[in-house]
Amino acid sequence: MPQPSVSPASGDNSDPALPSAGRQGRRSHAALLRYLGKRLVISVFLLFGITLVTFILTNLVPGDPVAAAVGQRAAEDPAVVAAFRAKYGLDLPLPQQYANYLARLVQFDLGTSWQTHNPVAKDLSTAIPATMEIAFAAIVCAAIIGVVFGAWSAYKRGKITDQVLRMVSLVGISVPTFWMAIVCFYVFYYRLGIAPGSGRLTPGVSAPPHVTGMYTVDALLAGDLRAFVDAAAHLSLPTLVLTLYTIGLLTRFSRTSFLEVLDSVYVRAAKAKGLPGRTVFFKYVLRAAAIPILTVVGLAFGSLLSGTVLVESIFSWPGLGSYAYQSASNLDLLAVMGVGLFVGVVYLSINLAIDIAYGFIDPRVRVG
Amino acid sequence: MKHLLPKAMLFAACTALLLSGCGQSGTSGTQAAPASTDQIVIDTTFDMKTIDPGREFEPTAQMLVKAMYDNLLTYGDEDTSTVVPNLATYTANEELTEFTFTLQEGRVFSDGSPVTADDVVFSLTRLTGMKGNPSYLFDGVTVEKIDDMTVKLTTAAPHPALPVVLTAPPLAILNSKVVQANGGTVDENDAAEEWLNANSAGSGPYILESFDVRSQAVLVKNPNYNGPQTPTFEKVIFRNVEPATQKMNVERGDSQVALGLLGDMVSDLADTVKVDSVPSATTVFLIINTDPAISEVTAKPEFWKAVKSAIDYDGLLEVAGSGAIQSTGAVPAQFVGGLPESSRLKRDLEAAKTAAAAAGASGKTITLSYANDIDPTGVSLQTLAERLQVQLAEAGITVELAPAPFATEVDAYRDGKEQIGLWYWIPDYSEGNDYLPYSPGQWMGLRVNWQAGANPAIEALAAELLTTSDPAQRQAKFEEWGNLLLAEGPYVPLLQPGSNVVYSTSITGVYYSPTWIINAAALGVAS
Repeated sequence: MPQPSVSPASGDNSDPALPSAGRQGRRSHAALLRYLGKRLVISVFLLFGITLVTFILTNLVPGDPVAAAVGQRAAEDPAVVAAFRAKYGLDLPLPQQYANYLARLVQFDLGTSWQTHNPVAKDLSTAIPATMEIAFAAIVCAAIIGVVFGAWSAYKRGKITDQVLRMVSLVGISVPTFWMAIVCFYVFYYRLGIAPGSGRLTPGVSAPPHVTGMYTVDALLAGDLRAFVDAAAHLSLPTLVLTLYTIGLLTRFSRTSFLEVLDSVYVRAAKAKGLPGRTVFFKYVLRAAAIPILTVVGLAFGSLLSGTVLVESIFSWPGLGSYAYQSASNLDLLAVMGVGLFVGVVYLSINLAIDIAYGFIDPRVRVG
Repeated sequence: MKHLLPKAMLFAACTALLLSGCGQSGTSGTQAAPASTDQIVIDTTFDMKTIDPGREFEPTAQMLVKAMYDNLLTYGDEDTSTVVPNLATYTANEELTEFTFTLQEGRVFSDGSPVTADDVVFSLTRLTGMKGNPSYLFDGVTVEKIDDMTVKLTTAAPHPALPVVLTAPPLAILNSKVVQANGGTVDENDAAEEWLNANSAGSGPYILESFDVRSQAVLVKNPNYNGPQTPTFEKVIFRNVEPATQKMNVERGDSQVALGLLGDMVSDLADTVKVDSVPSATTVFLIINTDPAISEVTAKPEFWKAVKSAIDYDGLLEVAGSGAIQSTGAVPAQFVGGLPESSRLKRDLEAAKTAAAAAGASGKTITLSYANDIDPTGVSLQTLAERLQVQLAEAGITVELAPAPFATEVDAYRDGKEQIGLWYWIPDYSEGNDYLPYSPGQWMGLRVNWQAGANPAIEALAAELLTTSDPAQRQAKFEEWGNLLLAEGPYVPLLQPGSNVVYSTSITGVYYSPTWIINAAALGVAS
């Protein structure tokens, strides 16, 4: 990942809160566009590399996808096997299979899954929004709560509040998410009856017309309040579980980041000058501490998008994690490649967004 | 900072409250099971890839297809051993090579058009022509239209199992005009699957409203259905749910039927539900390789005997849980061709030790291979393998466990490379003929390199069974074949796992079928 460089922009820029001048701003915009263009070109090559590596790895895995895809009896029939290989192009030499894949890819055709018999793009178009819905809700909640906890813990360093919050974050990170998911489902749904059961909607409630694939958003767009409330309710438990885990992570990183800034000379100087605590926090501490926190938030979001398989299982949530797991288990190579490509795009996008956000948060950061 | 933190905490608390508060508004769980006929929710673990009848071949898909399509013949709900007419009645010649089917007058598809001989010819020809997973079911059978209401099926050799085969959901009858209009053909160019995964084209009691192969299928009553069944529920919802979650859903009344509970999960159910635990028709067994190049030890018949005598079969049932029984032989006990309980293998440690020593097993380590990511009908092969390892060690047979993902291990199994393999068989149709490939030289026999000529008596009986039509003679020959296979074959039948159907006390008509699990149209509400 190309890193943004940090360079002194002027003699007195030790204060990260200083604004940029107009001319300097225009130059910055041009630099930003150049930087974006460069990153996009690099991203295309990286995505090409991802497809190549995924293709090689999936084909190196021992096992014949035909045996996994067709019934055991059918696999004994050469005509059935030949028909399967011909249908999915598996009868062609590997380089030709890869070339065909790339040729289809430029037309946004990811091939057909032999696990679901659907186009991979169609599967992803339902799996990604399902996961995106819980991942987005979880990262927003976790980021807000985690940063607050981290800041509080850092300000109360060594005191009982700090100890408690550190313990809470340790528990959040340490407790396996699938266990947390089972416990939450058992307590809030089964015992207390205050949360809905599994799935994205209550049986009998119709899914809203597909626009984004996120039921809460689509329900609002369709003006279907009943579906929105039901979808939001079903979202609550999986979001809670993923939030609890991510809070632990973000609290710890935030605390470390805040402590480093709180120990810096300019913060001590600001306090010594008698600036109000709110000013010191928002203008000096938060902004300076935000960069490493933002990095972790971005990576945590990427992780939520691709690594929620167990939580999805417990809550019968047909998302990307379970799709990836099922695809890998069934040697569904095109689906595995589709997932790999999407995850690659997600991480590249997140890294790019974070790098750009650095520049807005800290004027000392210059892209290029 | 003094003022900031309380506000931040307030915001965090509001967020947390919002999260938990959402749950309250959507609460649907109630302790009492609904007695409405509006809809019924069936939780199961999806294993299907498609619901195109000519391509599907997984238990969940069979259940859905059964609800939407009719076959020429079927089984009754309570009696799963007698074939009965569905769309047609039939007569057969004495040699069982010609079967003439007369369609029932007045039966219609869901669009109101009549079921004709053209639909039968198209559906059955499409099944074989597409070269899909279940195509082999109709191998060697030709179908011919006699008139609009009559078709004749002809086989080159006597085919006593054909009526049973015709009950299998892949042999469902489709509306040929509708399917052809949506890409259906009778060869490998067929392109109707995508349409059939979003619509149904059958004459069954339900039609497809929506289908997502990963999460949910919704069926609604077929308004034009005029067959013999009387479906109760307006809507049937099948959901893909993990077993542990299924248990909580059905106990709280969010679902009315749960089909995927494991054997050890049904012992402490709430009193709002009941469970039917019956032996499934899945068989779990060991295969032992007969090729000295794979293992000089396992290739010896003495070793096969040692393994059969070393196993504590009752001990394995403890692992399998509720409803499981010890296999009587290769064929499930409830099928034509199944062996009586008296045939079951028994543990004899002394005989096992003697046979193991004769096979030269002492000091040698044998590899036991199995798939560790699959639990056929709720039994963990990993747990079974561990138990087997301990039991075989007591007879002086040292076994090294070699777990692997199914997708990779199945290759070694098919290629005949496993020394000992722990595998399972889900029936293709409910008849002993399905199991004849265990004989030497046939595809299953070749998985242990048991070549043709290795056991002429078993091979001769298998050949005779393919053409024997008299039921009494068939059963007698099956027993002879099964007992010989048990005594002289390189297979060790272990158990048939239990099938645990858990359902609300307000639901009736839950009958387990080895082929389609349950018939949705038979479900009703207790009065």
